[in-house]
Amino acid sequence: MPSGTDNHVLSGRRAVVVGGVRTPFVKAFAEFLKLDTIALGAAAVRGLLSRYPVPRAEIDALIWGGVVLPGLAPNIGREIVLDTPLDPRVEAMTVTRACTSGLQAITLAAAAIERGEADVVIAGGSDSTSNAEVKLPQKVVHAAAPLIYGKPTPADILGVLAQMFPLSEVLPRVPRIAERTTGKLMGESAEEMARRNEIPRAAQDELAVLSHQRAAAAIASGRFAAEVVPVEAGGRWVHTDTIVRADTSVEKLSKLKPVFAADGTLTAGNSSPLTDGAAAVLLMSEDKARALGFKALARFASWAYVGVDPADQLLIGPALAMPLALQRAGYDLGDMDLIDMHEAFAAQVLSVIKVMASDAFARLRLGREKAVGRIDMDRLNVHGGSLALGHPFAATGARMVTTMANELAATGKRSALLGICAAGGLGAAAVLENAAR
Amino acid sequence: MSDWLLQLGAHPQARRITKTLGLPLPLPQTLRRARGPWEARPLADRVVVMGGLTGAQPLVADVFGTVVAAGANPHVVGMPSPALVDLGSAYGRPPTSLALEALPDGLRPDALVFDATAVADSRGLRALYDFFHPLVGALAANGRLVVFGRPPSAASSPEGAAAQAALEGFVRSVAKEIGRRGSTAQLVIVEPGAEGRVSALLRFLLSPRSAFVTGQPIAVDGRAAAPAEPPATVRVLEGKVALVTGAARGIGEATARLLAGEGAHVVCVDRPADAGAVSQLARTIDGSVVLADITAADAPAAIVSHLAERGGVDVVVHNAGITRDKTLGRMSAEAWSSVIDVNLDAIVRIDAALDDAQARPAGAGTRSGPWLRPFGREICLASVAGIAGNVGQSNYAASKAGVAAYVRRRAVDLAPRGITVNGVAPGFIETRMTAAIPLLIREAGRRLSALGQGGLPSDVGEVITFLASPGAVGITGAVLRVCGGALIGA
Repeated sequence: MPSGTDNHVLSGRRAVVVGGVRTPFVKAFAEFLKLDTIALGAAAVRGLLSRYPVPRAEIDALIWGGVVLPGLAPNIGREIVLDTPLDPRVEAMTVTRACTSGLQAITLAAAAIERGEADVVIAGGSDSTSNAEVKLPQKVVHAAAPLIYGKPTPADILGVLAQMFPLSEVLPRVPRIAERTTGKLMGESAEEMARRNEIPRAAQDELAVLSHQRAAAAIASGRFAAEVVPVEAGGRWVHTDTIVRADTSVEKLSKLKPVFAADGTLTAGNSSPLTDGAAAVLLMSEDKARALGFKALARFASWAYVGVDPADQLLIGPALAMPLALQRAGYDLGDMDLIDMHEAFAAQVLSVIKVMASDAFARLRLGREKAVGRIDMDRLNVHGGSLALGHPFAATGARMVTTMANELAATGKRSALLGICAAGGLGAAAVLENAAR
Repeated sequence: MSDWLLQLGAHPQARRITKTLGLPLPLPQTLRRARGPWEARPLADRVVVMGGLTGAQPLVADVFGTVVAAGANPHVVGMPSPALVDLGSAYGRPPTSLALEALPDGLRPDALVFDATAVADSRGLRALYDFFHPLVGALAANGRLVVFGRPPSAASSPEGAAAQAALEGFVRSVAKEIGRRGSTAQLVIVEPGAEGRVSALLRFLLSPRSAFVTGQPIAVDGRAAAPAEPPATVRVLEGKVALVTGAARGIGEATARLLAGEGAHVVCVDRPADAGAVSQLARTIDGSVVLADITAADAPAAIVSHLAERGGVDVVVHNAGITRDKTLGRMSAEAWSSVIDVNLDAIVRIDAALDDAQARPAGAGTRSGPWLRPFGREICLASVAGIAGNVGQSNYAASKAGVAAYVRRRAVDLAPRGITVNGVAPGFIETRMTAAIPLLIREAGRRLSALGQGGLPSDVGEVITFLASPGAVGITGAVLRVCGGALIGA
């Protein structure tokens, strides 16, 4: 057994990943328009249980990640339990940690199992950008309160109307992927990272093409068949991811216009698109998996969550989280057979790769002598990433765990490193180990 | 308190009209000031142009590293070394290379920094001109200009001493030229071997916190002992106990608030007559109160017994002061004595009590040593009047000139314990005291300075807070003016 894998599991119980599935990842405002995040989550959980028929009475809990949550039922985990339906005794919670929500749900499940709180947990995440709520400004809500909660007189009604000017302040707000503290769009932050870390447009486009090619190959070879479950939407079945473009090329991508700055380098081609989808992972204690006859695919050697100042390099978090997770697991970067990094933007992935290879960054930001290391592109995102597959925010972490757990089991490789950046300056990482080794 | 010229200048319409009519009104620039506690990146996205960094001087990495860690976009004249590129890239801010003869259009630097430590003759001085001449006009409003030099006394030849001393004349003049735009200029004189101590000072000087400090030579030396760990850049006074006399209002109040903002527990001292104001302040900043007239015989003991509950004190700000202005012939003996007593003698007596390890009352714990703890900071309020003298202030100027020498001498005594002792000399600060000055004299006080306006109590508080911070270890025995580049007394 590799060093370090047992030092943080005090109970001696190990959680293992038994399996995982996801819905096809679909461009927002398309096929899944009518499926909200709860419906997508329930579809993924139903698919998981059809592929991995665990006796329903054995399921202890469901932990679900969500980023764009419905205001009237924010604990979507519980709604998914009730809609799937699972036994109502299956307790459920919802976690939200921006784009690391899915991984957070899974590591919480692993922690609960390793603490002895549960034996079988379903964890995952879903998001439907198509169903993001358009919010009324609080000004309108506060002004209208007397009409809703009191017995309004005509004067009250006039009073409320009088407060509705200027109109620009009372119009519904369209949701944007912007930082609350800085007001900056995430793409603008990534654009700044590209500029500051000197990531050229061509390198970004090349990474995007690589992502598409690898994802297309995985689909064509049937590699994803085990982990993508078809979903019925509006009478039609969606069987496969809709965003992956096998025929894209650097020439085609180089023609796209920058979207976040006139003289920028980020385009729709090298940024992850708005996506609807869900992914679910089945975790068990090692003993329970054996008792129920399920093959353990992978276990967590470590995980790490970090925060950086959103006003600086918003999406650099994985460059701090990945070394921390490696250190906790007692590994070096070179020990990792596979690396799966969430591709929010090609510029962000390349920035993280660049600073991880820098001695100065290691010395000044990580307090270590030498650089973490160079990431081998042959081990990185071997079946594509969010640029090609799409990024239904909270589903991405669960997709990555599923694909890497399956990859470890299928290839017999030993270890995989996961890295995810997120809004708010958050970063996450985890080290997965092949459960059979 | 309101400065009508500053308000007029801040009004775009009025500014345009004044300009069009050619009115001889020197509209001052509204100074950019910091809000809230110290930030991790006070220079976020500011453009800093650095010159003289191409050599192998020991300062290069410290200056460049400070600028990028503080969040600025570094521009370097000439070809930056691979080490600087590496250093910048660690923060996602690799240096942009500039050629002085072909500066890019639209370059508006927020700060110009020049390392003149290697200047040893007039040929070297020419490099100073060559760097600043094309850039000074492009400096943004509220800009910053910092030159690094060496003590002339450390030069290996008379010519070298002259070249280094020339830097001071240069900086003082440029400060007066760029003040109208709210910009400041300083000379940092680094003793050989003290290069590692400039970082916090450079951060401070480039930030809006030094808004009212300009035209200053500031010496950085290795005299005061420093703890092994590098100083923090935020929450710099966490866990520290600070004592501020005269805390009820004005500079004392502003200082107490700023020290508390950095995490210090502030013990606010003021006269019983000001109990209401000082108690309210202590409540808002979660500090504590000692009501005492600092000239009373039992005041030092009362302060020490309060500090004993907290195990000692780390930061001492001797701020309390009074004026009793009269020309010498008309001045009463009482006016003379009370000013000397409050402004100078009280400091001496309180310090004696703080230095005294034997005065520790029973039950105050087992820690030994003086109440003023190792690596402490002491800041005394001096005044530009103490430097230049003032009609009607023979008593006040005498006391403040005394304070300046007091900190110089005391710094020598306390350096082995890592304690720095400095003075702060405010110029025209907008307070209740200056608001009472007759209009014409008040206007003269405001305008006769490089920045063309009065300062705020918080401007002085910012300087005191900087001097109280662990990063200011290289500055001791100095008197820093906070006067906006006053034309008299600077």
